[in-house]
Formats: sequence, structure tokens, C-alpha cells
Amino acid sequence: MARKLEVKLAKGTWEEAQTYVGKIIGSKIGADKVEEGTIRRRLETIEFDCPLHYDDEAAKKAGYKGIIAPSTMVLTYVTPAYWKPGDPHTKPDDPLKAIALSLADVPAEGKRTFASDVELEFFAPMYIGDRISCEDKLLDLIHKEIRVGKGAFMVQESTYKNQHGELVAIMRMSMFRYDPPEEKGGQANV
Amino acid sequence: MYDWDRKIDWSKQLYFEEVEVGSEVSPVSIPIDLQQLVMEAGANRDFSSIHHDRDLAQASGAPDAFASTSFVLGMFERTLREWMGLKGSIRKLGPFRMTLFMSVGDVVTFKATVKDKHKEDGKGIIDLDILAETPKGQTVKGTASVILPTKE
Repeated sequence: MARKLEVKLAKGTWEEAQTYVGKIIGSKIGADKVEEGTIRRRLETIEFDCPLHYDDEAAKKAGYKGIIAPSTMVLTYVTPAYWKPGDPHTKPDDPLKAIALSLADVPAEGKRTFASDVELEFFAPMYIGDRISCEDKLLDLIHKEIRVGKGAFMVQESTYKNQHGELVAIMRMSMFRYDPPEEKGGQANV
Repeated sequence: MYDWDRKIDWSKQLYFEEVEVGSEVSPVSIPIDLQQLVMEAGANRDFSSIHHDRDLAQASGAPDAFASTSFVLGMFERTLREWMGLKGSIRKLGPFRMTLFMSVGDVVTFKATVKDKHKEDGKGIIDLDILAETPKGQTVKGTASVILPTKE
């Protein structure tokens, strides 16, 4: 028996969702600090040979205090653990693990969702030893009927900071939440 | 023809003054296969099933397991970094929209074209159009902005 995918989208009405606009809908702190092993594995998968991310001297010569992580790794550094000490063990019929998604916790109509537009702005660099956290805010709800069905683009703004409170990045992402004409069950394409 | 053996000379630095509007950034191509997607998920920590599980990806309407937003962001960072050198920095990626799945078997090419250049508080800002494509068509389209050192 294979464990199933189960996406929990908080059920509610669009009127309910509207009351969340402008509010913080979630916060996250990374399971892993910025460290060389996590950077190395990222460089490995996208085959990115840039000395700023592995050569301390080269990074200093370029004006940094030392090795920095690729800017786009900010998303990885706020990903919580999928299991941590103290958590219950996974049972054979538990659903598959899903990535933490603040927008999924906003009660709204629609059984399915997928990510649409993404925008990521960078500020302070991420150094070895930094711990990144973020706060997610619901910026806007834009109702629309598109090819896949009727629903709304839910726009989230995530503010990423390091342990000193310095601004590291801001991401704006929209996800379309909708009910397809003839379908049952939740599904998230992220 | 794409040079799969190309090497980057990191001693070279691109300066604001050298950039011409309309010029193209050297494209970067990468093949996507299930092994690569699994390594990618392990590295970026996005374990959504659609990015590594063929059956679940297909059940969601995709042709196969497909690349994540994190992968797209990382590849655009690589493309822009290889072009601008170590003393530039990425100011903004996006807004961009993913229009086609980048899935197992696809070779994805990441591209950028200089759209505008201007100075802001003495900083050299370059605005670019970015896109990714596979032989099936355009998969990502959007804009980006980088900060380049100036010669002054």
C-alpha cells in the first residue's frame, strides 16, 4: 500500500479569505543554518561553479566577509524540517510529507492550487552560520476565471531576515486557488 | 550549437559601462532527468511529489515529474552570475511566470537579454528580459535586474 498525497487546503469562503488580506499568515525558520554542505549540494545539482560559494579568499576579494550562499537558496534556508526529534514516526498509512505552505492555511474556496508568478528581491548576503527566518503576508486576492477554472490568485509576500534582523530578501508569489469544473480531491502544484 | 564543455573565466569582470542595451547573455542549458530532479529536491528541500514522483506528477496533469521554482531560480542565478562575474550582484529575479512544464527528458536553456541600463544612487543597474525554453517551447518568461560595478 503506497502512502497517498494529501494536500490540506483550509476550507472556507472567499469572504473569509478576504479578511486575511494584509495580515501575517505564517512564519518559518529554517531547519538548517547556512553552511558549506548545504551550499555544496546546491551547486552540485545546478552545476554552478562560482567561487563566491566555495572559495573564502575569492569571496573576500569580491568584497564579502567570506563565502556566501547563492541568493536563490533563501527559499531552502527557511524550509522547516520534515521530521525532527520529538515528532511522531511516520506510519504506513500516513499521507506523504508536504512542503509548508502558508497560503494553504488561508481558508478559501477551491480544492486545487498551483504557483503562478514569482518575484524575488535580494538585499543582505547570506553568510556561513546565518539562520534565516521569514514571515508570510497575504497581500492580495484577485478573482479570475482562467482556463483551468474559476478562482482567485492569492498573492503572498514573504520577508526573509537573518538572525541579526537584517533584511535578506522579499518574495512575492501568487498561487491560483480554484475548483476545476469536474474534479474531486485536493492537489497542489507548487 | 551550445558548448557543453564551456568553462567560465572568473578573473573576468563585467562593468556597467561595457554593457549594451539589446545584448544577449550567454545561454546556459541543462538536461532534466529523474536523477537530477531527485538530487535537486534533496538540495533545495522541496519534496513536493510532483517534482520527483512520475505517477503523482502525471495525475496532476503534467507529462512527467517536473522542475521546481527553486530550480528555475537557481538556474537563472547561475546564468546571470556566469555572465556578470564575481563583483556583480543579483538585485531581483522576476516577476516571471512558468508557462510550460520542464519535465524529465527536456533540455532546458536559460537566456537573458539586456533591456535597459541606468544608475541609481551611483549603482549601475541592468534590467534584463529572462526566459527559459525547451525544444517544445518557452517555459518561463519574465524580467530580472542586476547591479554591476562601475569603472568610476
